[in-house]
Amino acid sequence: MIPAMAWRNIWRNKMRSLVIMLSVAVGLFAAIAVLALYKGMMQGRVRTVIDTETGHIQIHHPEFKSDMDPGLLVTYPESIIKQLESDKSVRSYSARVITTGMLSNPTGSSGVQINGVDTVNEAAVSGLAKKIREGGLDWKKNEKGILVGKKLASKMKLTNGTKIVLTMTDTAENMVSAAFRIKGIFQSANAPLDEANVYVDKSELQQLLGIGSNIHEIAVILNYDDSVSAIQNRYQTKYENLLVESWQELSPETDLMVKTVDTYSYIIVIIILIALSFGIINTMMMTVLERRREIGMMVALGTSRGRLMLLILLETFFLTIVGIPVALIAGFLVTGYYQRNGLDLSGMGRDMMQSFGFDPMIYPSFPADKLPGIIILVFLAAVFSSLFPAWKSLQMNPAETLQK
Amino acid sequence: MNSTVIDAHNISKVYNPDTIPVYAVNNVHLHLGKGEFAALVGPSGSGKTTLLNLIGGLDKPNSGSIMINDTDITKLSPAKLIRFRLNNIGFVFQSYNLIPVLTARENAEFILLLQGVGKKERDERIRQLFRQVGLEEKLDSRPSALSGGQQQRVAVARALASKPQFVLADEPTANLDSSSASNLLDIMAKLNEEEGMTFIFSTHDARVIERAKRVITLVDGKIVSDTGAKLLQKEHPGGD
Repeated sequence: MIPAMAWRNIWRNKMRSLVIMLSVAVGLFAAIAVLALYKGMMQGRVRTVIDTETGHIQIHHPEFKSDMDPGLLVTYPESIIKQLESDKSVRSYSARVITTGMLSNPTGSSGVQINGVDTVNEAAVSGLAKKIREGGLDWKKNEKGILVGKKLASKMKLTNGTKIVLTMTDTAENMVSAAFRIKGIFQSANAPLDEANVYVDKSELQQLLGIGSNIHEIAVILNYDDSVSAIQNRYQTKYENLLVESWQELSPETDLMVKTVDTYSYIIVIIILIALSFGIINTMMMTVLERRREIGMMVALGTSRGRLMLLILLETFFLTIVGIPVALIAGFLVTGYYQRNGLDLSGMGRDMMQSFGFDPMIYPSFPADKLPGIIILVFLAAVFSSLFPAWKSLQMNPAETLQK
Repeated sequence: MNSTVIDAHNISKVYNPDTIPVYAVNNVHLHLGKGEFAALVGPSGSGKTTLLNLIGGLDKPNSGSIMINDTDITKLSPAKLIRFRLNNIGFVFQSYNLIPVLTARENAEFILLLQGVGKKERDERIRQLFRQVGLEEKLDSRPSALSGGQQQRVAVARALASKPQFVLADEPTANLDSSSASNLLDIMAKLNEEEGMTFIFSTHDARVIERAKRVITLVDGKIVSDTGAKLLQKEHPGGD
């Protein structure tokens, strides 16, 4: 009978109860919306990292990433490429020749990472074709074409069709340089990366560096995100003299950001619930104080402190949980809509978001994985909110309350 | 028949004992036997309700002992006192004090649930009680749908549900019209006559005093007269 009493009690003042239920629903919806937005942003960032920056895994000389010395090569890459082509877990790969150098034109110069790629393969790994804003990828091998980022183009006043000079050090430590003509300008979701990277034909860069058919790196895109560690281990075991790294190792800042935002998400939910708890405590205190005589009478008749506490706890609990399904349904529908259509945050600072590597078009994702945690937190908030009103009711002296 | 149910010995209730002491109940001795139909009377502030609260274990005296059967309720812990009240004392309050979200049946059943009585026994007991108070047709009505007299009869049914040693009624007819008050008194008198249920009232109501077999008058927290006790002893010489 105590649960039935608790349920009926919350409807004694319908308007007050509905207001508090609505505030729980709105608060929880806000929490779900924020989590969905964060999850969407993080998924977008991870997608950007995997699809445009690192791939799922990369294979290179163990010291290449730290030294960037053009002599730290993946030699005879054909056997690895052959295996990648026959591997059903692998969707695409791109063999890269990478060095650092100087890009110069009459207006100035800028330090860049020069990526020698097969544009068709690279497009399948880093979505290069989709990033082209001017020009294209289909230049002839002997044209010495180059792709530059939009940010770099703006900085150095480069336009499509103009000539620039790339200067670098070859494996024999000689300065070499060559003129390239800009065949395309690309723009990704990561502005700093656009400023620091240029793309040329792989064979031209191999020739300039004097490394024959050797390469520096193979970036691999897998069919499934969750198979990264298994494939990484398999290739690492097979090619012991090379280093096979996952995207988390290649972009530890992204991995850290995902984990940090995960923790922050719960902190945001906790802050929202604490704010809601004070509203619930206020309502429950009003309820308890309005029913002093009734509570005193119940104690007089023989209701134990435990049962009285249970009654207040259940009333608080019902008041709190009724808003949960409303919030979940609203959260599911709203995030579902924006997951399909995207939420364009360009107006809130496109450049700023891109400078941090985020695409301003966010696709929020319903945080189903966090729902058990959220629901546990809501239950804890309900228990927390009931403690003071319950304690207050237990302090009541039936002889005094019955006389009032 | 008239064995002692309540034996209050030397009880005092003092408010502000350390500053300006106010004696609500002052060194009272009171014996009440089984089957009594007693009225505590006196002017406002004479200590009727306080004495009733002390006997009912709702308040603790500053001194003295209150034996109910063989238990000194002044020495019980709060938790044990709640349990003791549940199983031994029935209460009827001036303002009915029914739980508004429960039906008439549920209000009475609530006590039986607290006692852990099984469903079948609960149903039988509720039907019997509501037959006795003449409210069988109102079992599923909420208090808000009942008149004051009907609510007070439900309160009597609730007070009797636990099969208490005695029922304490604090001004039970104060909020009732003449007809409802008379009807309620008839029911309680009948329960007293037929089942030997002990009733102790605090009251100003002449109708209650008229029907009481024993009238205990309090003034300034002291018993100044106790009429009917001797008469009762004559009627029931086997009592104390």
